[in-house]
Amino acid sequence: MATVQVSEAEKVYILHGIRDDLRVDGRGCEDYRHMETETDVVSNTDGSAKVTLGHTAVLVGIKAEIRKPRPMLPDEGYLEFFVDCSANATPEFEGRGGEELGTELSNTLYKVFNNKHSVDLKSLCISAGEHCWVLYVDVLLLQCDGNLYDAISIAIKAALFNTKIPRVHISTDDEGGKEIELSDDPFDCMRLNVENVPCIVTLCKVGHRHVVDATLQEKACSVASLIISVTHKGTVTCLRKVGGGSLDPESIFEMTEAGKRVGKALHTPLMNLLKQEESLGKTRQKVGFLG
Amino acid sequence: MLKSKTFVKKTRSGGVLKIVREHYLRDDIWCGSEVCTECKQESTVLQRDTCIESNLCAYPHYLIPDTNVVLHQIDVLEDPVIRNVIILQTVLQEVRHRSAPVYKRIKDIIHEKEKHFYTFTNEHHRETFIEREPGESANDRNDRAIRVAATWYTQHLKTSESAADGLKVVLLTNDQGNKQKAAESGLLVFKCEEYIKSLIANPELVDRLALTNDEKNEITSSKVLFPEHLPLSRIQAGIKSGSFLQGTFRASRDNYLEATVFVPGEGEDSTEVLLQGLQNLNRAVHQDVVAVQLLPRDHWVAPSSVVLQDEGMAKDENPEEEEEEKAVTAKKPTGKVVGIIKRNWRPFCGMLNVSQIKESTRHLFTPADRRIPRIRIETRQASTLAGQRIMVAIDGWPKDSRYPNGHFVRSLGGAGEKDTEEEVLLLEHDVPHQAFSQAVLSFLPKMPWAITPEDMKQRQDLRQLTVCSVDPPGCTDIDDALHCRELDNGNLEVGVHIADVSHFIRPGNALDKEAANRGTTVYLCGKRIDMVPELLSSNLCSLRSNVERLAFSCIWEMNHEAEILKTWFTKSIINSKVKHNKNHDLFAYLLYLSQMRIDDTTMNDDITKSLRGLNKLAKILKRRRIENGALTLSSLEVRFHIDSETHDPIDLQTKELMETNSMVEEFMLLANISVAQKIYDEFSECALLRKHPAPPPSNYDILIKAAKSKNVAIHTDSAKALADSLDMATVDSFPYFNTLLRILATRCMMQAVYFCSGMDSDFHHYGLASPIYTHFTSPIRRYSDIIVHRLLAVAIGADSTYPDLMDKHKQSALCNNLNYRHKMAQYAQRASVAFHTQLFFKTRGVLNEEGFVLFVRKNAIIVLIPKFGMEGTVFFDSKDKTAPNLVFDEEGPTLTVEQHTFHIFDKVKVTISLDASNIQHQKIRMALIDPVISGVSVPAEDLEPQSKKSKLDR
Repeated sequence: MATVQVSEAEKVYILHGIRDDLRVDGRGCEDYRHMETETDVVSNTDGSAKVTLGHTAVLVGIKAEIRKPRPMLPDEGYLEFFVDCSANATPEFEGRGGEELGTELSNTLYKVFNNKHSVDLKSLCISAGEHCWVLYVDVLLLQCDGNLYDAISIAIKAALFNTKIPRVHISTDDEGGKEIELSDDPFDCMRLNVENVPCIVTLCKVGHRHVVDATLQEKACSVASLIISVTHKGTVTCLRKVGGGSLDPESIFEMTEAGKRVGKALHTPLMNLLKQEESLGKTRQKVGFLG
Repeated sequence: MLKSKTFVKKTRSGGVLKIVREHYLRDDIWCGSEVCTECKQESTVLQRDTCIESNLCAYPHYLIPDTNVVLHQIDVLEDPVIRNVIILQTVLQEVRHRSAPVYKRIKDIIHEKEKHFYTFTNEHHRETFIEREPGESANDRNDRAIRVAATWYTQHLKTSESAADGLKVVLLTNDQGNKQKAAESGLLVFKCEEYIKSLIANPELVDRLALTNDEKNEITSSKVLFPEHLPLSRIQAGIKSGSFLQGTFRASRDNYLEATVFVPGEGEDSTEVLLQGLQNLNRAVHQDVVAVQLLPRDHWVAPSSVVLQDEGMAKDENPEEEEEEKAVTAKKPTGKVVGIIKRNWRPFCGMLNVSQIKESTRHLFTPADRRIPRIRIETRQASTLAGQRIMVAIDGWPKDSRYPNGHFVRSLGGAGEKDTEEEVLLLEHDVPHQAFSQAVLSFLPKMPWAITPEDMKQRQDLRQLTVCSVDPPGCTDIDDALHCRELDNGNLEVGVHIADVSHFIRPGNALDKEAANRGTTVYLCGKRIDMVPELLSSNLCSLRSNVERLAFSCIWEMNHEAEILKTWFTKSIINSKVKHNKNHDLFAYLLYLSQMRIDDTTMNDDITKSLRGLNKLAKILKRRRIENGALTLSSLEVRFHIDSETHDPIDLQTKELMETNSMVEEFMLLANISVAQKIYDEFSECALLRKHPAPPPSNYDILIKAAKSKNVAIHTDSAKALADSLDMATVDSFPYFNTLLRILATRCMMQAVYFCSGMDSDFHHYGLASPIYTHFTSPIRRYSDIIVHRLLAVAIGADSTYPDLMDKHKQSALCNNLNYRHKMAQYAQRASVAFHTQLFFKTRGVLNEEGFVLFVRKNAIIVLIPKFGMEGTVFFDSKDKTAPNLVFDEEGPTLTVEQHTFHIFDKVKVTISLDASNIQHQKIRMALIDPVISGVSVPAEDLEPQSKKSKLDR
């Protein structure tokens, strides 16, 4: 991932600041940077969202396609993730530079989102064992300025909220042959319930304390971080440690508690924002990528 | 301003796709009106002075028709009276989507300057574009778009100075809901009928109005005659599950209560489903694409061999009467029409049956094509239209109506007049016969044309060769020429030179497209409808004598046994020395040659040597071909002697088959085979070839039965066996027997067709007994040959290829069109001969002639008159007389009338006259004179006064 060089003096400055709950940019330890979301930014997807967090920018697009359900789960649809680390985000991604990170991110996302507790997968089923909707979630990193996981998870939640799946119904003819029929009204579509979709909170252990939404500089000072996905009720659905250093159980417990707290607080304003945006309908002025 | 249009679509594989299109809105779309000062338009379409006398709208106005008005009332819109119409883009797009022919017609109207039709691109106008709203159907959205545009026009014209003129826009719609909504938003709106009827000055327009469905007229008896058609969604589901079959509806020519549906399948799986009875035909019209449901096996019937013509309501019950007789012959899969997938209605030619009631405005229309049902139309000009050939379009066929409803389109002229009838038969056979458009003509070479030095460089110069063309007299499109010379090594060099049409017609341009559409030149009696403009067909591509012409040559080196040693192809320049008439000069010349054999040295000029060599080789080639099993079939061709002033036929003769024709033909066949081999070797996937499939054995049944009745055995195992047994089949006392047999054999054959080598595996040409064949030798009059020329040119590196030439699917589609056009051209030709035969009998009155029974039907015999090469039907039952005792035996087949039994090939004597009682279907009536059967045969007419009279007439 994108790294910055931090000198010893800078490191000490950052560490001391965090110890005193005052970070370089003036935030407290559990504060996020300025965050912006916009949905419905890519017209040829079924749902899309763009999130900027500080200077980190990600774009998520969701395409729904009809496929055969997985044999083990015949009455559920599923999600597929692909993370594209474009060289726009940072020159390190040039060539195949972003591949490893992309795989790591998509594997994590798969674990966090593709389960029936996060998304109502049953509602994606069209006819058991034969047809279901598969949501292809494509994540594009536009700019990297630390804390990719949190930004991506918020963007995915927003994009899922925005997703409109065309409504289909199955007609059966005399001999039991099934036929998928599509409604000819483009407004006739199905929405997903995103209430239970978790958000990821990354906590970075810096010195003896931990911070939320670490910048690249802070990241450089941290030995390890913990990825926690939290639902709106505060339930932790996934926990993962990344980074080279080790964490003692005491701090893991502390960080989880902090993560739950922060995550829970994140959902309500996000949902409010999304609903508000939705209610504007066509009158909303789109910002897009140039705004 | 940019908007995007979004819609979801289902893909073939069952997936669902979201498609987004960008949509740009503009500020610079002008209204097109002359009065407008606001719009910065350069030229205007809509006039300031737009008065049309209407008692509904006394003010000047522009019309805005909605989609359904354009779709259904296109005939009205085409009328020169209707001018100053605004066609919205929404309407145009919907029309294009729903009916290609109507779309083409409306486009034509728009291009016509005098009509002042203006297309307003409302979908791209910033103020008139609307987006579909939740809960709104696509149709509602379009209706709203039309209303918005109409409102915009109203406002727009009001603000400009035209307000003084009182110029308004009038919306025409037949949709009640739309009309109401438009009225609510303050628009001037009328139903199309209301408006047209209000045009006091032009009452004739009312006739051209299409009857609309909501106007359920009192003419129909309230009882429902037909079962309801299923909706398209159920039909599609049914076809997919296999419970319905989809196919093309083909009405029977002879029996109006019978039809077949051809269901295409893969390879050999194509089936034909028989339909019988009005209920089962269920309002399908010839050529519609329909869905049929098979009846249970015990309801299957055999096609009836009765000739039945729709004479009115009274005979509706006929199919039931015949049910009992069906058991004898093989039953065919029988079904009923459950729904119509696509109507293929076109305007039909025919005549009006004027209603018995004097003041009635409703009349029945009888189409010229017997396969089309009668059509009920409404007109006030019945008295003028009676006796004229008119065109009528079908509007619909409600389920409680015995006949479809339609409306008058235009009049073609008086029935029986030569020009009218020719027009009718060209229209009925879908022969494109309009003059070539300017766009097409613009691709012709500029005159005076000369061979350029570049051409010289690329082509082989064969001008020094003694090339001669051999074509029928009066022929102006000469596309082939031959040469033959002895080489130094003692072998013969033979060349076939074909006009290089592909040099002038370059792929993809308008000229090429027109030729591809026409497919073939159509020859009628005394008229030719060219495939390519005359400049090419009769001048630049005609290998006339003593001018330099571009040619495509196929040259062989042969030994004296006519074995090919070497073949090569080249583009060349030739200079034909002599033109010989196939029938006169050359014939005489060859006779002369044969006499000269004794004294061989007297004439030794180049032409004589050339012809002598050719003739010798041709004989060997022909013998070899026949040994291989090529068939010599026979059909009678008729030639008319046309009066040079009146252009009426004054004599009728069957064409004699001259042996000399075959010399040229032999080399043409050889060239075609050589070229076919070459292009197939080079392009195994996309060579355009011609095949003639072997007929299924059952086709020969009638031939074998017929021959058996004369104790002659016909073997049909192979072409060779057939050819041999036909040669052997002679009856001493009956010299004409062999010809008759060959005529019958011809009827058993399949149609030869063009196909693309990549799409088929069976290349065999049955009739010519050749494993591969194509058409190379007449590019002036056949488009297939042009394609073959192009392929060959690419093969020898003389020309470059282009994508469509190498696309086997496009080739295949082209082949389908060519096959269709060829078939139609043949039919048109036959119809033309039939018409001229009628003209001939009109002047000649009644004739007594000898003929032979060609077929035996249940209630009739079909008689061939060798003298005139014509056939006619002698009916034994008629409506007004009680039918004689008829016994039909399928096995013979024989028909016993009272005491006399008719066999195939029986010699009969008939009296021939023109039956003009039905002007539309004037037909040759034949009645039996000999054998004499009481109550059936008629006494021989006294001919003398008749012929004298006709002499006086002239």
